[in-house]
Amino acid sequence: MRKNICELVRRELDELMLDETCSTAALGHLRECGACREFQEKQTKLRQIVGSLGTVAAPADFDFRLRARLANESSSAASSFSFLAGPVLRRGFAAVAVLVVFATGAYLVRNTLNRPGTSEQMAKQTPAVRETPKPPQETVTRNTQEPPKTMDVAVVQNKRSQGNRTGRAGLVAIRNRPLATKEFSSTGAEVIGNAEPVGTSTPFSIDASSLQYFRVSVDDGRGNAKTISVPTISFGSQRLMQNANQFAPKRVW
Amino acid sequence: MNFRITIRVAVLVALCFGVVSAQTPSPSPKKPAPPARAGRDKAPAAPQVVTIIHRLNALKMFRLLARSQQQVQAISSLDWSFNLMDDVHTNVIAGLALDDGETIAAWLPEAEVEFGPVPAPPSEAPEAPAAPKPPVAAFPSMPNTFFDAPDITVIGSDGRQLPAKYIGFDAVTGLSILRLTKKNAVAAGTFKYEPVNTGEAVLLYQPEPVQGARPLLRPRLYARMAAIEGRIQTVLASPSGGVARFRVSAAKLSPGNIGGVALNQAGETIGIVDGLEGNEASILPATLIKRAAQRVLDQQASVPRPWLGVKGEAIAALKFDEIVNHGWALNQAAALANKHRGIMLTSIVPGSPAALAALRAGDVILKVDDKDIQSADDFTWWLEQAGPSSFVAFTVMRPDRPVEEELNVKLSQMLEPSFSFNLRNWVTPVKGFSLLDQGIETIALRPPVATQLGTTAGLLVVYVDPVTAAFEAGLQPGDVIQSINGKSVAVFKTDPKPATYTFEVVRKKEKLVFTVPAKKTPGTK
Repeated sequence: MRKNICELVRRELDELMLDETCSTAALGHLRECGACREFQEKQTKLRQIVGSLGTVAAPADFDFRLRARLANESSSAASSFSFLAGPVLRRGFAAVAVLVVFATGAYLVRNTLNRPGTSEQMAKQTPAVRETPKPPQETVTRNTQEPPKTMDVAVVQNKRSQGNRTGRAGLVAIRNRPLATKEFSSTGAEVIGNAEPVGTSTPFSIDASSLQYFRVSVDDGRGNAKTISVPTISFGSQRLMQNANQFAPKRVW
Repeated sequence: MNFRITIRVAVLVALCFGVVSAQTPSPSPKKPAPPARAGRDKAPAAPQVVTIIHRLNALKMFRLLARSQQQVQAISSLDWSFNLMDDVHTNVIAGLALDDGETIAAWLPEAEVEFGPVPAPPSEAPEAPAAPKPPVAAFPSMPNTFFDAPDITVIGSDGRQLPAKYIGFDAVTGLSILRLTKKNAVAAGTFKYEPVNTGEAVLLYQPEPVQGARPLLRPRLYARMAAIEGRIQTVLASPSGGVARFRVSAAKLSPGNIGGVALNQAGETIGIVDGLEGNEASILPATLIKRAAQRVLDQQASVPRPWLGVKGEAIAALKFDEIVNHGWALNQAAALANKHRGIMLTSIVPGSPAALAALRAGDVILKVDDKDIQSADDFTWWLEQAGPSSFVAFTVMRPDRPVEEELNVKLSQMLEPSFSFNLRNWVTPVKGFSLLDQGIETIALRPPVATQLGTTAGLLVVYVDPVTAAFEAGLQPGDVIQSINGKSVAVFKTDPKPATYTFEVVRKKEKLVFTVPAKKTPGTK
C-alpha cells in the first residue's frame, strides 16, 4: 500500500514544473517518507541544472544535415513498394510518378539551359589575362560597364563581436568548472559579411560530401570534462581552438 | 506484374531525375537580375587573389587539439561512427598569388598541424651558467609523410582548381607559402612596394559563402570572393625606416577579415590582413610578404624565427605597480617608468637561450646590439634582424644591480614560440612519462573511445616525427598504443629510461608490435 502511495507521489513529482508545488497529500507523504524526500531533492536539483542551461540554438549546419538525413530516409523509403497494395492507390501513384517525371525533366532542361556558370564550366574558361596597372578611374569604369556576373544571393551577416585573432565570441562557461567550453555547434560558420561587398566574383563550388561532425568530450586530468566541437566549414583565417597558439605572437620571443 | 514493374521503373526514373536536379546548383534562373546598387561591382579585377581550401581530417584535428593550449588529458567520448581519416573541417581563406604567378602566400589558421615535431620539453637538469650551449631543438624541416600531406586546394579567380604544394611556414610573419604546380597558372597582379599613404582607399578581398545554392543529396557549398572598402588610417614605420604595418579602417570589420588580401583602387596588392586592433585591420605590407615567401622558397621548408624563450612587455605599456611587483624598488621603478624604454621580462622558459644566459623575470632589456628598444615591436624587429641562431648583445637593467649589464646571448630558433610556453602546460598522456622526446605525440583515450578503435585503453598517436626510429619501425599516426614494454600505458613509467620501447599497437582493429630503440635525449647517459 505504502509502495503504491510512493509511486503516486513520485509520478506527481515527475510531472511538476520547476516553480510548481505539489499537492498537500503529497506534501504530507513527503514529510513521512525519507526515500521520496530524497527523490524530490534529486528531481529539484536536476530541474535546476537543466533550467540553468538556457536555450540551446541549433547547430550552424543543422538544416543542412537535417535535409541530407531526410533525403536519405525518403530515398530508402522509396525503395519499398509495399504500400502500393491497393489498385486505386497503384493507379494514383503511377499517375503522380509520371507527372513527377515530366515536371522534373522540364525543370532539369530549363535549369541546364539557364543556370549560371558552375565550377566545371569555369574550368573550361580561359585564364584571366595578366593586367597592367591602370589608373583607378579607368579600372572602375571598365568594371562598371561589364554586366554583373554574380548571383544575387543573401550573405550571412556576421553578428560576432569584434576582437583580435584569439578573442572569439561564443565562450560558454560551465558552472563550477575552471575550464570553459567553446561551443561552436550553435554558432555560424566564420563569415565576412558585415560590410556590404563592393564587388564579388563568380561563385565556385566546394565539395563538402565527406565532412563529418567533430564533437568530442575530453577531460583535463583534474576531473573537469568539456565538449569540444568545431564547425565543419569556416571562412577567414581565424583559429578553431580556444587559446590556440597565435602565429607571429606579440610579446613572446 | 508488368504494371507493378512499370510503376517501380517510373518511380526510380523520377527519383533519378530528382537526384540529378538536386545536384544542380544555382538560384532560380528566372529571377530577374537585381538593380545595380551604388558602389556594387566597382572593385577592380583581382586575378592575384585566390581562394585556398584547407581540409583537416579528424586525426589532424586531434593533433591541433594536442598542440593548442587546451588542457586535454584524454578523449572521453566520440560519436560511434567517427572515422579518424575522414575530414572534419574545411577552412576557406584568401590567398595571394605573388608576381611570379606561381607562389601563393596565405594565413592558414591551422598551419601548425602541418608543422614538424613539437620540440621535447627541456630536461630537468640544473641550469648551466651562461656558457654557450647547443641551441634548443627547433622544428626541423621535414618532408611530409603520407599521413601528414596537407590537403590544400587553390581556386583561381576564374574558378579553376589549381594543384598546389605546401612549401612551408614563415614564422616571422605567420604566412604559409604554397607553390602552384603549373607555371603561370595564375595571372599575377601587380604589387605596390613603395610606401602607401594615409587616406588612400583599399579593398579587402575575402571569400564568403553563397547562400541558397545547397544541393540536397550531394553536399556542395558555394562560395565567392567578395571585397569590402576601407581606408588607410595609419602607416607604422619599422625602426629601420621601412613600413612595418599599416592600419585600415572599414565598416564593421570582423575577425573573418583576417587573412584577407588588401588591394588599392588600381588593383595593386598592398598587403594581407594579419590582425584586427579595435576597428582597424592591421595589414602586413607587400614588401614583407615577398621577403617571407623568398625565405621559405630559398629553404624549401618552414623558416623558424629567432627564439629567446621569454615573455615580456614594454616598460612604456606597464603600470608602475607592475614594475614594482617584479622586484624593483620604488625609486628604481619610478626611474624606469620615466625613461619609457626597454622590455621587462615577465616569464622565462627553462632551458631556453634566455635561461642559459641567466636572464630572469624582472630584468629589463634596454638595448639589442646597441639599438634602443622603445616598444615590443622594436624588440621583435631587432631580434628578427639578428636572425635565428645568432649572437646578440643585450644591455640589461636588473632589480638588484645598480648599473646596466652587457649580456651576450645566443638565440635559438622556433616556428611557434608559444609552443615553448605550452610545453610547460603540456599534459603528459600518462602521469610520469611522455613520448614527446621519442618524437611521438599522443592523446590518451578513455575506455569507451578505445573500444571504438578496437582496444580497451591506450594512447592515440597523432604525430610521429619522420626522422625517428619509431617512424622507421612503422609506427603511424592513427595507431593506438595499448602497452609499452609489456605494461599497460596506464602504469608504464620511463624511470629508469628503457633502452628500447616495445609498442603493442592496434591499427584498424589489428594488433601489431613495434620495437624501437630509445632516442637519446640530452642529459641521458
